[in-house]
Amino acid sequence: MSLSKINLVVIGHKDHGKSTLIGRLLYDSDAIPEQKLQEVEAELKKAGDAGFRFAFLLDTLEEERRGGLTIDIMHTPFKTKKHLYTIIDCPGHREFIKKMLTGASQADAAVLVVSAKEGIEDQTRQHAFLVKTLGINQLVVAINKMDQVGYQQGVFLKTCRSLDEILAPMGFKDIAKVPISAFNGDNVFTESKNMKWHNGSTLVDTLDSMVKPLESLSDKPLRGCVQDIYKQEDNAIVVCKIETGMLETGKTVCFSPSGKTGVIKAIEAFGTRLKKAKPGDSVGLVLEEAQDIPRGEVVSYPESRAKRARTFTANIILFSDVEMRNGDVCVVRCGTAERKCRVEAILTEIDPVKLTIRATSPRVLMGGGVGEAKFLPLEPLCIERHSDFPPLGRFVIEGKKGPVGTGIVLNVEQDEVPCAEAA
Amino acid sequence: MSVSDPVGTYLEELEKKSIAIIREAKAQFKNPAALWSTGKDSTAIIWLCRKAFFGKVPFPVIHIDTGCKFPEIYEFRDRLAKEWGLNLMVAKNEEAMKTGVSPQRDRFECCTLLKTQALKNLLEKEKYDALILAIRRDEHGIRAKERYYSPRDEDFKWNYEDQPAEMWDLYVKPSEDFTHMRVHPILHWTELNVWQYVKREGLPVNPLYFAKNGKRYRSLGCQPCTVPISSNAQTIDEIVKELETSKIPERAGRAQDKEKAYMMQKLRSLGYM
Repeated sequence: MSLSKINLVVIGHKDHGKSTLIGRLLYDSDAIPEQKLQEVEAELKKAGDAGFRFAFLLDTLEEERRGGLTIDIMHTPFKTKKHLYTIIDCPGHREFIKKMLTGASQADAAVLVVSAKEGIEDQTRQHAFLVKTLGINQLVVAINKMDQVGYQQGVFLKTCRSLDEILAPMGFKDIAKVPISAFNGDNVFTESKNMKWHNGSTLVDTLDSMVKPLESLSDKPLRGCVQDIYKQEDNAIVVCKIETGMLETGKTVCFSPSGKTGVIKAIEAFGTRLKKAKPGDSVGLVLEEAQDIPRGEVVSYPESRAKRARTFTANIILFSDVEMRNGDVCVVRCGTAERKCRVEAILTEIDPVKLTIRATSPRVLMGGGVGEAKFLPLEPLCIERHSDFPPLGRFVIEGKKGPVGTGIVLNVEQDEVPCAEAA
Repeated sequence: MSVSDPVGTYLEELEKKSIAIIREAKAQFKNPAALWSTGKDSTAIIWLCRKAFFGKVPFPVIHIDTGCKFPEIYEFRDRLAKEWGLNLMVAKNEEAMKTGVSPQRDRFECCTLLKTQALKNLLEKEKYDALILAIRRDEHGIRAKERYYSPRDEDFKWNYEDQPAEMWDLYVKPSEDFTHMRVHPILHWTELNVWQYVKREGLPVNPLYFAKNGKRYRSLGCQPCTVPISSNAQTIDEIVKELETSKIPERAGRAQDKEKAYMMQKLRSLGYM
């Protein structure tokens, strides 16, 4: 039987029990090798710790275990009857937002962990808001530490109500919430005897029934990103990663923004030729007439071709330490393209922790801030609305040592100058 | 196809992602190289490189030779290098070997000098700006913290507390602030996936992996620090079957992983693989 694959990011405020929850899931589902358990037990004993700590299964760095906090993300597979999950554990500390975003960018769905004891805190709001901004629409809430509030239904309901007040305005509606104790295992993998008032659905059941694999991108118009060109003695192979739609041999394609066109003579893989290529495939294109197609071009069909963007607006998440001002020139990386763009206007700034609008037309977006901004590409760029073509509707803003921010495209004003007329 | 062969479809997904990553590395870096231990994982990587570049690996393939590898490793290495037309480079810290570094004296020092330092010396000489490596998340807790692209500074250090963001498949770019980038194309594979792939592609396998007299090697390292596990698996199918039920960690036979708590973390932060 084939299980569908789901990437699940676990988010929430520090100390609300994210790593403990994942440790518990792995432990109860019998996914931990015996030797690993022994290693953890030995390490705990040495530290003079009596009880078993599930978080130790995830937090493998010395600093993480000693400090009792997660510093970096961790991917762990976990299987249920329905799905093969990869769980991404993220640090909850406010200083580690870019790590949390790294984890979230790989996810199809999110689990928000909220402590019933502490209630909603800063990173509860911030993490939920950021994953939504990144385009994650599937969310399940685990109300943790129910053992510490006497398993009371009243506390659970109260936490749920306050959560709805912040989640609904973000666009998370009718979100499933499960009362759990990760520490004791209540309602995580097995149904709790301590919370008879709950409908009986465990966190794992809820995930299996609510979370779905992302819709296929193959029904959309064709978009592919040119990675490289390999020149051989007698031909040139344009290496291209298909992002949406289907590429087929014999068809005419357009390369944007250069406007070059060509007919696909063959789709090459090592030792074989393909008739078609689908999203995710990285394939070699041989054109009827060899052309020099540089990295960063976007391949599409003439009838639904990728157009140059005159301007585009996007939701921006800045990592810490940087700020963005009106008029700044930055390098935007989208697909395989890297293009200089000017910040035309910062339209709004939202406080990602308080979830309030800090300013409209603020001129400056501060480090760690979230806001909407309008960009003007200074070099030809094809970029799409995230809702139309997710892989071409997201980008990073380059810094000296890696990205300093990321964006999700809301709108594109396209240039009407056409590609070279299709053959 | 997906209905009749779920494993095949899954392996195809893994493979495509790896090939895309390898092609990105070639496009972004001026002077990349791949690391090859002759083990199953890095042999799979070399094979993926051949696929990515239509048969010919366009960059050097580095073997770190500590002088105390199993004879089977050298035989396998030389045979395959010839067969696949690889540009083989051997990294060896002869100076340290002369001073009598050994695991008996100090295992941490031995791994650091004979492996990490040997690689560092070659890197400085050849000025490689990216190293393609076959580590996987499921091998070790520390490796599960890795990114597909992982920059190293001039001291070779892995700054795991402050890794750059890796959003979607927009991997970190080369920068003057990094001496080289570690590229991990099979980070998302599991040990079982590698064997399934070896079988599917009909890849050559180092004979040490197959059981002899009730023992086989599950992970290949240096002779003094690698012990075999109890096993009767004599074919790839039997290995796959064994892994589907085994609860013993893959690197159980590798001494450097468990000598002291956090030794792997310390080795890796200094540039170990």
